[in-house]
Amino acid sequence: MLKRITPVIAGSALIAAALTVPARAEDKPILLGINTALQLQVGRDTLDGVRMAVEEINAKGGVLGRKLEVVTADEGESPKEGVAAVNKLTGDNNVNVLIGGYDSGVTLAELPHISRAQTIFLGTGSASPSIQQKVKDDYANYKYLFRVNPINSAKQAASLMDFIKGKLKGDLGYSKISILGENAKWVQDMVPYLKKNATEAGLEVPFAEFFDPQTADFSPIFAKVKDSGSQYLLIILSHAASDVFVKQWYDAKVPVPIGGIDVKSQDADFFKRVGGKAVSEVTTNFVLRKPITEKSIPWWDAFIKKYNRAPVYSAAGAYDAVYVYADAVTRAKTIDTDAVIKELEKTDYVSPRGRVKFDALHEVQDGPGNVNVIYVQWQADGERAVVWPKEVASGKMIDPPWMMKN
Amino acid sequence: MPAWGSLTKTDVIGAIVVIALLSVVPFVGSRYIVGIMTIALCYAIWATSWDFMSGLTGRENFGHALFIGTGAYTAGFLNVSFGLSPWWGFPAAAIVAVLFSLVIGIPTLRLRGPYFALAMLSGAVVMQKLSIIFSDTTGGQDGLNGLSPMLRSQVSAYYFTLAALIATVIVLKFIALSPWGTILRAIRGDEATCQAAGINVNFYKISALMISAAFAGFGGALYANYQLQVGPDLFDVALSINIIIMVYVGGMGSIYGAVGGALLLIGLTEGLRSFSEYRLWVYTLILILILFFIPNGVIAPAWVRVRDWIRGRSAIFTRRASA
Amino acid sequence: MLDILIYGAVISAVYALLAVGFTLIFGVARILNLAHGAFYALGAYCVYTLTANFHVPLVVATVIAVLLVALFGIVMERVLVRPLRKLPPLAVLMMTLAVGLMVEQILLLIFGSEARNVPSLIESSFNFGGVLLSGQRLLAFFCSVAILGGLWLFMQHTRLGAAILAVSQDPEGARYMGIPSDRIFSIVMGLSAAIAAAAGVLVAPFQSVIPGMGLLPLVKAFAIVIVGGLGSIPGSIVGALLLGYTETIVAFKASIEWSQIVSVAAVLIVLIVRPAGFFGKRAAF
Repeated sequence: MLKRITPVIAGSALIAAALTVPARAEDKPILLGINTALQLQVGRDTLDGVRMAVEEINAKGGVLGRKLEVVTADEGESPKEGVAAVNKLTGDNNVNVLIGGYDSGVTLAELPHISRAQTIFLGTGSASPSIQQKVKDDYANYKYLFRVNPINSAKQAASLMDFIKGKLKGDLGYSKISILGENAKWVQDMVPYLKKNATEAGLEVPFAEFFDPQTADFSPIFAKVKDSGSQYLLIILSHAASDVFVKQWYDAKVPVPIGGIDVKSQDADFFKRVGGKAVSEVTTNFVLRKPITEKSIPWWDAFIKKYNRAPVYSAAGAYDAVYVYADAVTRAKTIDTDAVIKELEKTDYVSPRGRVKFDALHEVQDGPGNVNVIYVQWQADGERAVVWPKEVASGKMIDPPWMMKN
Repeated sequence: MPAWGSLTKTDVIGAIVVIALLSVVPFVGSRYIVGIMTIALCYAIWATSWDFMSGLTGRENFGHALFIGTGAYTAGFLNVSFGLSPWWGFPAAAIVAVLFSLVIGIPTLRLRGPYFALAMLSGAVVMQKLSIIFSDTTGGQDGLNGLSPMLRSQVSAYYFTLAALIATVIVLKFIALSPWGTILRAIRGDEATCQAAGINVNFYKISALMISAAFAGFGGALYANYQLQVGPDLFDVALSINIIIMVYVGGMGSIYGAVGGALLLIGLTEGLRSFSEYRLWVYTLILILILFFIPNGVIAPAWVRVRDWIRGRSAIFTRRASA
Repeated sequence: MLDILIYGAVISAVYALLAVGFTLIFGVARILNLAHGAFYALGAYCVYTLTANFHVPLVVATVIAVLLVALFGIVMERVLVRPLRKLPPLAVLMMTLAVGLMVEQILLLIFGSEARNVPSLIESSFNFGGVLLSGQRLLAFFCSVAILGGLWLFMQHTRLGAAILAVSQDPEGARYMGIPSDRIFSIVMGLSAAIAAAAGVLVAPFQSVIPGMGLLPLVKAFAIVIVGGLGSIPGSIVGALLLGYTETIVAFKASIEWSQIVSVAAVLIVLIVRPAGFFGKRAAF
């Protein structure tokens, strides 16, 4: 009996298997590859920003009926790990798009490998102009690169010049400022530009120096700045130990206010981390709990609700990157890379940071209404006020406590 | 067992097996795996060149990255700044690295042990900091980018690197087995006696460093051509230390140790990616366990045992006494 | 001129603390302890955890932190180092290196990469003829000097100190005299760890408390100790002064970028000119 039933069962099984429709290509998820420095706050926020956007989009049905899925790879802060991460995501996981980046040196190293993998890369952290320059120099091979965040360092320099001329010279009447930057390449390119333009604008710049991010002791710098008679110290810090710098500045009660670009000081809990010693420090930022667009405050609150902490700039950029990509794919009606690139170039998306549009180099544009740099100062109670540009200013700029005139 | 001091038929057969396995990698592995292995082969060249110098002469060099970075930057400059074909980078890298080895090696001839280690470390640190300060020329922290690759396909780059490793191993082994190598070992054992016997000790010491530097620089150029980027991280203390760890874990004083240690540890760092943020912690834990329980090295002593077993077994067939 | 003198003194004092601990364990047990930076970092993180999470008063937290790290040092020596003592010295060096790396990874996993804040004991700042100095730095200077002074008194005037000196000169001979060398090794490791932790605690309020904070101090301690001569405490102090003042002078006269290179180059030059350091007599391996 078994001998006769077996072929029937086997046959039925075979027919059933043949009838089971293999998973349609359209049902496969769209893979987002996130390459970032996972062990740093900036990296974690990149990932969290992406995850938040992915959840929102998937809840509304995904993109072209397909769900979005996230794959990560730690690029650390070393080019070697970055290249390995990119190769793993593109070669092993076969992601459809790369989102991430933080250290410009690492991203620059990854570029030829991204190009070889012919995968779109949406940058959310690196600022070097050299990255997007490749789009102009070799469009065919590097058209995959887009920068969603931040404004590149050349534009940030122009913004700083605006701050120097408008706020420091114009509003506060300073005539002597010093400049201090860490010795990252983008800073080394920025400082001579700032010094030259400040001098042409009529300011004196007695001191412009670089320091190694491993510097533990800033006393010589503070002594020299003080002795030079400077009225303001413009700082440009990204990887460096801002906490140490700020704490040492506060403890020694250096009679020179500080401000500029301080990436670590963009963290919402930086003030608490340094025991309140960041009061009166000014730093650039891209997003704050202020109504830059109608999405800014809802997004900020939603992030805090989901993750129990305030976001840093990379979270906003990463969130935007996912939406920008999703929109482009929806408009292109396919995930074919070349078609999506065409649509990405036409992006016009209102994000929590401002309007996201790309220029000919695939850079996110700045200018009125677009994504812009704002200058934020820590107030005495740990609150933050926007002190520049005038159009979005929410408070007056204060002096360090030991310099207040009352 | 004298360092690098022996070569048997079984050793050669074992090497051929390893080479065969490595040759198969591009067929079974993804592009990612091939990339990892290419880097691992570069590390193997660096580890072998380090062990040649430090294993034979007994002077542990804590600044091997100096030669690696120098070679890599040389290749990078010729490629990017002067627009030369990448092939020029290889001999140039080796030559410049050798020059640097003379600059730092000659004044430090008298140094031994931790004093020598620190002097070499200082050399690497100085070059690292200089490459960051003179950013207009060297690209600072970002380094030199956009090198043009010498070979279009990644797979051919892999085979080229493999060939380079094989050549390195053959040349260094040959030197080690020659009278030159014997003298180096003698100097390590008792420098004073060698001096008294009329051997120009300084010449041999510096030559060992030069040879080590040449291959390290050559490996640096290979790395640059794969990575297509060169940066100050190639001078880093961490790189020097990692190479020492690889040789140590593999087993000092043996080619299998150096090559095997490099392949093992690179494989481990990448293979543990599934642990995500715990990756390096697990890696360090494994390292401590190895250092504690297998302090003579994982690869080399194991291979010696396997080899002797094979030779013992084959002696039954050929009736030759195992030497 | 005055600013160079004062800042140089403060920096050198802390360097001296780090270097002396490092050279102590080498002089006595012939161990190049590459986990020394980890002790420094652990001291800072212990104080942070005790004050931030357990709300222990700062002074008490300092004492507890130093004792905890000393204990850690003793345990490390007993469990991981002592079994390897029969092997070539490189084995012990590698193990201490691995322990240092492990500590850094654990700190990274527990505390994350962002810097932590340790409150200062003295918040006020001082002005010495135009030179701005924070109170905490002044405290760090005086404490360092006090600890070094105390160490010297301990070594010269106590029985335990004499025993330690005896073991450092001749472990075998000391054993014949009934001095338990193994126990002395543990005690000295604990002492060395305690001193490193004290340095970490003193500078934590004004330096970066990050998981990797121990690497640079370790390299500097290594350099100072070698330049001063391995195993020589006076040598370490001289080396610390050399490094500290070179860095400070160059930072003031040229730029802070060059201060690091010049001090490393100075180390190299000393080694070329005096291959065994200022006061050193023998090589380690």
